[in-house]
Amino acid sequence: MTRRLRHMLENAAIPILATILGLLVGSIFVVAARDDPLQTYQHLFCEGFGAKGCQTFSDLLIANVPTDGGGTQTVFAPFYGADGHKLAIDVERATILILAALSATVAFQAGMFSIGMDGQLVLGAITVGFLGYWLPDQIYALAHVDPKSPPETLFTVMHIVVPVICIAAAMAVGAFYSWIAGYLKVKLNVNELISTIILNAIAVQIVGYLIDFPLRSPDPNSLARTIRIDDSAWLVPFNRGLFQNVEWFSGSRTGVGIILALIAAGIVWFFLWRTTAGYEQRMTRGSRLFARFGGIPSEKAALRAMLISGALSGLAGAIQILGVERRVVAGFASSGVGFDGVMVAILAKESIPGIILVAMLFAGVTQGSLNLQFADLPRQLGGMIIALIILFASMENFFRAQFTRIQARLRPQRSAPVAAEGGTST
Amino acid sequence: MIEFLNSNRRQIQFILIALGVLLGLLFLFGLPVILVQSSIRLATPYILGALAALIASRAGVLNLAIEGKMLLGSFIAVAVLYKTGLDPAVGVIAATLAGGVLGFIFAILYLRIKINLIILALALNLFVANATVFFLRVSFHVFGTLADPSVHSLPTLPLPIIDSIPILGERLSGYNVIVYLSWILVFLMWLLLFRTRFGRHVRAVGENREAAETAGINVTLVQTFALTLSGMLAGLAGAFLSLGILSQFLENMTAGRGWIAITVSLFALEQPVPAFFTALFFGLSEALSLYLQSRLNLPADLVLMLPQVATITALVLVALRLRAAELLKRRNFATQFGQELANLRRAVVGGGD
Repeated sequence: MTRRLRHMLENAAIPILATILGLLVGSIFVVAARDDPLQTYQHLFCEGFGAKGCQTFSDLLIANVPTDGGGTQTVFAPFYGADGHKLAIDVERATILILAALSATVAFQAGMFSIGMDGQLVLGAITVGFLGYWLPDQIYALAHVDPKSPPETLFTVMHIVVPVICIAAAMAVGAFYSWIAGYLKVKLNVNELISTIILNAIAVQIVGYLIDFPLRSPDPNSLARTIRIDDSAWLVPFNRGLFQNVEWFSGSRTGVGIILALIAAGIVWFFLWRTTAGYEQRMTRGSRLFARFGGIPSEKAALRAMLISGALSGLAGAIQILGVERRVVAGFASSGVGFDGVMVAILAKESIPGIILVAMLFAGVTQGSLNLQFADLPRQLGGMIIALIILFASMENFFRAQFTRIQARLRPQRSAPVAAEGGTST
Repeated sequence: MIEFLNSNRRQIQFILIALGVLLGLLFLFGLPVILVQSSIRLATPYILGALAALIASRAGVLNLAIEGKMLLGSFIAVAVLYKTGLDPAVGVIAATLAGGVLGFIFAILYLRIKINLIILALALNLFVANATVFFLRVSFHVFGTLADPSVHSLPTLPLPIIDSIPILGERLSGYNVIVYLSWILVFLMWLLLFRTRFGRHVRAVGENREAAETAGINVTLVQTFALTLSGMLAGLAGAFLSLGILSQFLENMTAGRGWIAITVSLFALEQPVPAFFTALFFGLSEALSLYLQSRLNLPADLVLMLPQVATITALVLVALRLRAAELLKRRNFATQFGQELANLRRAVVGGGD
């Protein structure tokens, strides 16, 4: 048990070190902008992870809250939810990141460096954005009822059926779009990295066109957007539905999506590490030739991985529209959220629990830096910090070599062979 | 089919070259002047970007950070000129140097610290994309666009003799200096790769790293140099984007051009001269999309898809071409090996008699 704990700690050490180094180097840029790094980071973290009234780093953990009697009470801040908690907003943002990162992980684990999550995600989103209002309209017309006040039973049935159909359609669209890149790779050896990047650009333009013209909502709004999805297709957020009285959720649109994302994470973990098909995929990554000689249909495994990856991206897009935005707005296609998911997967080193943690970190940093804009720092600081964290995290081998060298120097009598080994490997 | 291709190689090459020349002439004289001019202008970043991609690939490093280096170049070019009122040439040089520095940093991070190549490139692209906007706000206090009367675009230069030729003149002359430079650089790159000692070393490192190392080539030095050169070319391409036409910097100005440049180099099988023509084709398809958009009033999103669809088609064609080349090589090897086996058998059987 202790060995396992130690193993986990060793695995977590590099991402934690990378996060700290990323924040440190990021502070250079804060200084360059003539701002106080400590103040900026306090602001960033409070806006990203804090409860209401968070001012300093210590408020992130312990908050003094006024009680009804006029005194103050010390509480554990992450659970203090008066007027909503920023962590709930992070969960809302992390949902889509987790799903996109899972999608990337499934592809990476099969040796396909596909970063087409963005394209698959926006295509899934537009599918849902269309079906979400079109399908209920058709049902209402068939049943000859007034869309404004449908009968209770019909609405209940629709509220189960319509989202399921929408999500299934989005997953199918995402899977198909991902399959294109997979097929090109497997049959023609087209570099999947480059083909997915171009497919992303094409998808963004297709969706941009669809929002601008055929699917544009007729309401007079300067920003092009689709018609809002019907209430029966809406995955109602917690603060409007299940947990109306829990203040922690107020102000965030966290909903059933996060539960679906966590279930998906569990299924992906089970699939990759506990089933034959997942094993085949992971073997394909090491060496396609080796896998084929070992009797694994490597082409089939790679294609299956791409299909699953696309379906997960499509699911991410579907949840974002059905649960959070309820309509596709013009800027959504080019927001690059699928790409953030790829970054999450890279930083989490493709471990499933890691993905959930890193997604929360990314969501918090993005959320926190969003509010820096009202101070005088641009929100791009968040993106820079994330890029730096990824850079430092990928220096793992370098850090390990340095660590071994320092260790060797501290214990000269035992470590002569270690030093020699380190010397040859670097 | 393959035998036919193999036995008539010379003739096929000749026919292909003739077809290329014909298409080139058609391009030069058949299309409206505006279209030719704008496609040459739009092709310039692709030419330079493709050269940047192919020098790195030839040295055995898949350089996916061209997008980031281009963006940095276009930002630095305008940032240096902003309010200083210096000559635009200074901005171009600064952009080239900045690209070179980023290329050098890339080389250090990849060769010394050994970061995964793809992750390094993606992280650098992300960092540059955010950092340019960050400094746009922090240092220049503007949103989205950096423009100022003090920033001039590069002047257009008429080519001395060609300018006076009636039809050719207006089509081939009257661009700014980077356009001409890109044409010269294509030739220089060919010279560097195939006619110098250093170029031989670069190709040797790219083909087989271990073998080159054994032969006494300093692989790290060669790759560092190639990556730095690649960065400088990408920086120059970026300077063309911001100072060549518009004399301003826009947020995310490159808009995926770096990635298309990589495809161009892949399509041309990492040869400078074919890369030049491929880049022209991409420039033409982009120019055509803009031209059609203004003439036919087509939706912008759909028309802008044209270059992207062309790229993906190009990728498939590259793959088919590579596969054909591979098949041909195998065939040749099999026949040669078969002949040798037959010789050997004859010798052995003859010895047995």
